[in-house]
Amino acid sequence: MSAGNAAFRGAWIALFLQLPVVAQGGVFVERAALSPVEKLVHDRLPSVVKVHGASGLKTIVPYASGVVVSEAGHVLTLDLVMVQSGQTRVVLADGSVHEAELLPPEPNLGVRLLKIDPSRVRTPLRPVSLSSDLPENGTFVVTLGNAFRLAEYGEKVGASLGVIAATTEPGLPLRHRLADVRYEGRLILTDAPNNPGQYGGGMFTLDGRFVGLNARVLEAVETNTLVSAAIPCADLIAYVDRFVHGRVPAVVDEGDAPAAPGYHGIRLFDQGGRRSPPAYVERVARGSPAASLGLRPDDLIVRVGDRSVRSCAEFDEEIARFAAGAEVELTFKRGNDVRRGTMTLGEARR
Amino acid sequence: MQVQEVLQAAADRVAASVVRIETYGGVRRTLGADEGSDAVGRAGSSRMEEDLLAQLFDRADPVEIGELWRQKGLAPKDTPFEAEDLRQLGDAVLDRLLRKHQLGPYRPKSGAEREDDVGRIGQGAGFLQAQGASTGLVLSADGWILASRFALSFDPTTVLVTLPDGRTFTATRHGEDTSRGLALLKIDATDLAVPELADPAAVRIGQWAFVLGRTFAPRGRPSVHTGIVSATRRLFGRAIQIDAWTSPANYGGAVIDARGRVLGLAVPLSPSGRDAGADWYDSGIGFAVTLADIGDVVDRMRTGEVVHRAWFGVLLAPEHLGPGAVVTDVAVDSPASSLSLLRGDLLVEFAGERVRNAFHAQILIGQHLAGDPVEVAWQRDGVRHEATVQLGAVPFREREAVTRSDEVFEKPWEGDPPPGEGEEGRR
Repeated sequence: MSAGNAAFRGAWIALFLQLPVVAQGGVFVERAALSPVEKLVHDRLPSVVKVHGASGLKTIVPYASGVVVSEAGHVLTLDLVMVQSGQTRVVLADGSVHEAELLPPEPNLGVRLLKIDPSRVRTPLRPVSLSSDLPENGTFVVTLGNAFRLAEYGEKVGASLGVIAATTEPGLPLRHRLADVRYEGRLILTDAPNNPGQYGGGMFTLDGRFVGLNARVLEAVETNTLVSAAIPCADLIAYVDRFVHGRVPAVVDEGDAPAAPGYHGIRLFDQGGRRSPPAYVERVARGSPAASLGLRPDDLIVRVGDRSVRSCAEFDEEIARFAAGAEVELTFKRGNDVRRGTMTLGEARR
Repeated sequence: MQVQEVLQAAADRVAASVVRIETYGGVRRTLGADEGSDAVGRAGSSRMEEDLLAQLFDRADPVEIGELWRQKGLAPKDTPFEAEDLRQLGDAVLDRLLRKHQLGPYRPKSGAEREDDVGRIGQGAGFLQAQGASTGLVLSADGWILASRFALSFDPTTVLVTLPDGRTFTATRHGEDTSRGLALLKIDATDLAVPELADPAAVRIGQWAFVLGRTFAPRGRPSVHTGIVSATRRLFGRAIQIDAWTSPANYGGAVIDARGRVLGLAVPLSPSGRDAGADWYDSGIGFAVTLADIGDVVDRMRTGEVVHRAWFGVLLAPEHLGPGAVVTDVAVDSPASSLSLLRGDLLVEFAGERVRNAFHAQILIGQHLAGDPVEVAWQRDGVRHEATVQLGAVPFREREAVTRSDEVFEKPWEGDPPPGEGEEGRR
């Protein structure tokens, strides 16, 4: 989703421009005032940088954007393929070019901190702090970044206007070209255009809060449409704090192997084939968790917890997330009734 | 008040009426495969990315590959299969394999990078329907729900409607309006929140239009996309045109004004006659079918009727500037042929209105629905003839044909054939 619609955006700018006067240094100045969008751009543009990385392969876009998050020279960006050690440079708003050191990436959300040498910076860095807010649907946002690398040499990055369409639950199924993308975090969807080059740029509310880091343009599996989105800053604070302020999270993820899926006792009517059929129950084992929930043959399972399951394959995938002892709510359809019930999974049988 | 507050207040006013629609079962088809995209497909035939091919090869069973290899009639190999060999199996088989191994549908790689195609939807031989949840709008407190046909076009066996408060109901399907891309559902509920409908005649170009959706926002405030009304009385007076983003993420959702009144329902319509959804997505052109003026159509849909845009069955000469429209051809078994209209006749009146020229005639015909009785007047050799005829629905084969002919003015613009008119994958 990235086509702009110039007419509508034009209308916006005009609207915001209709503020007649502005107080400047205590004096009312009669001139075209800065609109909220202009003011935001004026305040935040210096914090957004261009990131140039490794190229070589045709499919790799060797440029992106980033946001300065510390006076010590930390720059937050996406962990794109082009971000390679020894080949990554950061171009500040003043046009100066800096070698960037790579810090360890955030493995689950696909972002990475870069660090430039602050002693070599001429104009003072303008770090922004990550907002812990998740703005509501319909909040206006400006995204800043180097869309399509239009900002050559010392030119500044560009701005786009839109609203937050919605923020997804974690784990929206996504694709990049043909391959599925594993991304377990939340995403802020927007109708502001997002494009290669803008990835890693900042999403700001009009009151200046840094609320999201522009994600890659990916395709939502459910709609088969490209999504323009940002990773919520609220979900990145812990990672940034750890490297910028040396705060180690209280609980360290030990990354142990997931437990074996628990036992439910449901056999679905799945005759295989090219497409997995809807999750109709064929048999429920006597005395099983599903039996105690009241599930019966011919029920159609439509949801596992909050997630819709439209096929046997999706049911298998969802239920496998739960280990023995987990409480799982199933929503199922019997006749025309939609029912809910909770079962506690048992130990997997060998 | 700030615009943002206006927008959010408007969305909140309608939120309770914007429902989520989920479907189960049915046959998902690839839509929108046409000559244009086929050309892209051919150019990129079997040009799958290396890494995807490798993934597929990893997942596929060598025995399975061998079987497909034999079926395809390829010469037996002496050496073990390699990933590259899969290309020999052809696009159709690759598609089947990819789906089977959950690597998604096969879309041949085109020359350009898709990402760089500024928001174009997936290239290749057609457009796969959206599979996720869709959106609908409450029409009445007792459970009538209006949705986009797009969400139901693959004939799901089960349709569930979830209200923003979390209650879920099984929906029964009633009629459809193929000319507007609408489908009517009924759930067994009472006291639903009914939105206020805006008067289509009072809609002005340039006013705000916000599109609400439930695909990515099941509860609370729906997803919001913003824009303005670009045009009114589009698509034979059935829709307004907007510049907000419409896509499978908000089809079936309410398009509202700044006061939270419903201007229409976002539907994937296109004037081209192709299956809409892909071609106009993200183009800055969206359509909202107006609702306040279609009470009689909704009544027909309640009885289960599927209504179609009217078809008269004439080709008209664009070079004749009027008054009237000159008939250049008459379709076999059409309403026009039942009137014994002939090539060279001059169509002078249609449904009580004087025909100004061929384009005007097209609009006059297109405004009607199949089954409408209309009075038609024509001149032959200076003699005026009059008759009443019942308009028909465009036969599907002909619809395909006419979209390829520029001479035809009665271009259909709804996507699907009427039920039972011989389309593959639909029963």
